[in-house]
Amino acid sequence: MIELEGLTRVYQGGRGAVRAVDGLSLTVGNSEVFGLLGPNGAGKTTAIKMMTTLSRPDAGRCLVGGFDVVREPGKIRERIGVVPQENNLERELTARENLTIYAMLHRVRDAERRIEENLRRVDLWDRRDSVVTGFSGGMQRRLLLARALLAEPSVLFLDEPSIGLDPQIRRQLWDSIRKTRIDGRTVVITTHYIEEAEALCDRVGILCRGKLVALDSPENLKRSVGECVVEFIDAEGKLVQHIHRGRGEANADAAGEHNSSVTVRKTNLEDVFIKLTGERIE
Amino acid sequence: MIELGWYPVFLKEMLHFRRKLLKLGYLFSAMVVPIIYLIAFGFGLGGSVRIDGTSYLAFLIPGLVAMSSMNNSYTWVSSTLNLSRLYFKTFQVYVQAPIAPSSIMIGEVLAGMIKGLFASALIVIVGILSAPDFRITFLFCVALLLNCFLFANMGVIVGMLTKSHEDTATYSNFFIMPMAFFAGTFFPVDKMPTLFKGVVYVLPLTHTNILIRKAGMDAEAWVSLGILAVYAALCFVCGSKLIRGYSE
Ligand SMILES: Nc1ncnc2c1ncn2[C@@H]1O[C@H](COP(=O)(O)OP(=O)(O)OP(=O)(O)O)[C@@H](O)[C@H]1O
Ligand SMILES: [Mg+2]
Repeated sequence: MIELEGLTRVYQGGRGAVRAVDGLSLTVGNSEVFGLLGPNGAGKTTAIKMMTTLSRPDAGRCLVGGFDVVREPGKIRERIGVVPQENNLERELTARENLTIYAMLHRVRDAERRIEENLRRVDLWDRRDSVVTGFSGGMQRRLLLARALLAEPSVLFLDEPSIGLDPQIRRQLWDSIRKTRIDGRTVVITTHYIEEAEALCDRVGILCRGKLVALDSPENLKRSVGECVVEFIDAEGKLVQHIHRGRGEANADAAGEHNSSVTVRKTNLEDVFIKLTGERIE
Repeated sequence: MIELGWYPVFLKEMLHFRRKLLKLGYLFSAMVVPIIYLIAFGFGLGGSVRIDGTSYLAFLIPGLVAMSSMNNSYTWVSSTLNLSRLYFKTFQVYVQAPIAPSSIMIGEVLAGMIKGLFASALIVIVGILSAPDFRITFLFCVALLLNCFLFANMGVIVGMLTKSHEDTATYSNFFIMPMAFFAGTFFPVDKMPTLFKGVVYVLPLTHTNILIRKAGMDAEAWVSLGILAVYAALCFVCGSKLIRGYSE
């Protein structure tokens, strides 16, 4: 379980202080898959860094598995696995060497077998003795995932895990995350792929300028802004979207527009996102 | 339970070191600087100068060992930490692992010492071949190990403090470089003017140079040993504190 209460982090930059995370409060339950969504610079990575004991909060509280990130970071480190947004593999070492070092750092039992298992899981067993520099971006992401799962963490943090993965591998990643949930693991995931959040997350928190602007299941979030969207290209070639509470209203609107490009579709998380933050995701 | 958290940290550095050694150019470049000094000073002055009853070469070689072990231990650790913190981000993996901050410290320091000892070994080999009256004593070994340890610790401190990779060079130009020349590597410090001597005796490398050339323990040797040990302990504590306080 994860509990955040008024979590705040301020960066001192050239142009004054930035409140990267600003009074964030939320709770993630056991074996929940929780998504953090937000535009670039919203504070997702900063929040993850605090939860994973990498950054110290400037204010507020953060408990992971009942342990405080400031007072008992060691206890948390025994229980978490992290896929960071920025690759932090040892690039001049091989895939297997990377995992071996990690296994030692985390005192993984039966390391040889676990390493093989995890490399096979992400389809990298054949490349086990290749140096990471020679891996493609997607292969490096997969190796990061294998590493994060190596010590069988009870909480898994994934900061944009599917950046640079092709659709097929991304589906495989989703499957392994779902499977991970069945094992009773808690997952916190940030993503720019709306469909990823919809496909995986039990609940989603939408972050904007460090603050939480919405927190609910994807279904409820969509319902809260309206169920249907009318979309068309106007005379100037711009995409126009109207969100409506129900299908009937939407159909009436569509008929009134007298535009051949008009379509009516169901609301997705992206519509919610745009409505709440005024920004588009990538 | 014995804390073995330092071992993977050390092992990782050794894997990197082995890869470097396999590149021929590396071994060559590691040897070039001390050999230049040896030729320029040793063979240049060698025949005409005698110090404390030994040949200049036999005087110079322990000094080069002290200098080179300092340089290599310090540089390896400071640049590894600097790069892994700021550029490769691999330092995060240590921080997020359930090991003590002092384990990270010990692993890095031991790796730096190996690097320093390796560079020293190259010079010792050249020394044995070129100066017949050069001797390795017990004190030589003590001074060498302590020196590697001390400067690897300083490497941790600088590696944790620097805000960019260029910073590392700044520290080294203001601190390490002058020490290499003024702390008794090329000539005995007791020949220096009094005022200057005061400054020079504060520098840790001076005491390594005193200790590394002693045949046996005397009062001066004990003082130097004490000063080096205090420096080393202080640096170890500071370095561990910096690692413990790490936050992005
Ligand atoms: N080390 C740092 N120093 C100064 N400012 C920082 C630092 N890291 C992040 N910030 C600032 O904090 C804010 C939040 O950044 P963060 O990386 O958490 O955003 P994000 O939601 O992960 O964005 P993205 O989707 O691009 O990954 C940004 O305004 C960023 O400029
Ligand atoms: Mg981010």
